[in-house]
Amino acid sequence: MSAKGVKSDAQLIEPLSQDNVASSNKIVTCAMCYQSSDHQQSECPYCGTVLHVRKKNSLQNTVALLVTSIVLYVPANIYPIMYTTSIGDEIASTIVGGVITLWEQQFYPIALIIFVASVMVPVAKILALSWLVYSVQSNRIISRKNNQVMFRITEFIGRWSMVDVFAVTILVALIERGNLMKVMPGVALIAFAAMVVTTMLAAFSFESRLIWDNPDKNKGKNTNV
Amino acid sequence: MSSPTKLACHECDQVVIIPALSDGQKAICPRCGFVFTRYFKKARSRLLAFSSSSLVFLLLSFVFPFLIFTTQGNEKVISLVQGLQSMGSGTYLSVVLFMLATTVLVPVMTLTGINYTLISAKLDKPLPFTRHILKLVFLLQPWNMAEIFLLGILVSMIKIASLGDVQFGWSFYSFVLYIISMAATRVFLDKYQVWQWFRHHDKRAYSYER
Repeated sequence: MSAKGVKSDAQLIEPLSQDNVASSNKIVTCAMCYQSSDHQQSECPYCGTVLHVRKKNSLQNTVALLVTSIVLYVPANIYPIMYTTSIGDEIASTIVGGVITLWEQQFYPIALIIFVASVMVPVAKILALSWLVYSVQSNRIISRKNNQVMFRITEFIGRWSMVDVFAVTILVALIERGNLMKVMPGVALIAFAAMVVTTMLAAFSFESRLIWDNPDKNKGKNTNV
Repeated sequence: MSSPTKLACHECDQVVIIPALSDGQKAICPRCGFVFTRYFKKARSRLLAFSSSSLVFLLLSFVFPFLIFTTQGNEKVISLVQGLQSMGSGTYLSVVLFMLATTVLVPVMTLTGINYTLISAKLDKPLPFTRHILKLVFLLQPWNMAEIFLLGILVSMIKIASLGDVQFGWSFYSFVLYIISMAATRVFLDKYQVWQWFRHHDKRAYSYER
């Protein structure tokens, strides 16, 4: 056995091929407890989780949630996320406006964090999931492995978009609604939070095994791996 | 372990057999790179150490002042739960409830669940509802946003740095320690391994071997 920390490949039964996937081996493995059972089982015999050979209506659900998040993205960016009142002046700031203000105040790292988390990540997520759905649907595959990695990143990174929502919520809680100064949340706060949740749900409802399912269109080129 | 069991990769459906792993080794799907499991020696004791300390740090961070904000001589002391409450009126209740759930409720439930299952695994016969609780722990995991909350605090601190003076209370430091020990807990909380502990109790259900 190799040294500590070395990655070890799970031992293969058969060579990598389209034929050696679980559906043709007639087994299904529980995503919760790793119990393998017959592919006709509807519930895991060990932990009772509902088993899917493939999640039902995965693409439809993903697309529906993606459309919802795109719709929510519009008010999230048009309307102000918070209102700051100090000594009578009310300033409304949008998400992008907040980033610009932070940049002008020379808080570069924080401005960058907010920009990445609330502007770049949501757009990237929506684009990535749309591409995955399109790629699976039209069987237009550039690299299955890249698609899988893209999906994994999308799934992992989604939660971090909540940073700005939490920051605004904390600000509102922190600053007393006094006469001199107050901070109020704006409509965009709800829209943006809902958008993050719907993109997260869209990622969860996407069936990653579909990435690997379709047989190869372009023969000769091994796009299976 | 007994005779090898065929597993289908969760992400690409490749059928594999997980080999015996040495300390720190990962079992990775050869086709898509999915990490099935990472084996650690004494993972159970390490997990118990980190999950119980996370729980203690998290509970402590509810008790003391979290942040102290001073403007024009007015001092405002905020504790974690109270801070979330003060925003809890009106239209924005949904956002506050979401934040409360993902930063307080989910972590408390997850950690209590982990500690419960660990105690259960030590006993000859698992405690009631162990499997249900374990399932809940894993289902809730992506909704634990405590570390994002911490980053949110730092961002809001900087946004109001010009308006007043902000000091961190004891709870804040406890919360930081909680985030650190929770990260360690996540390393040792391995789905595959954890379920394996209970397989020994219940050989009957673990019969599908080909």
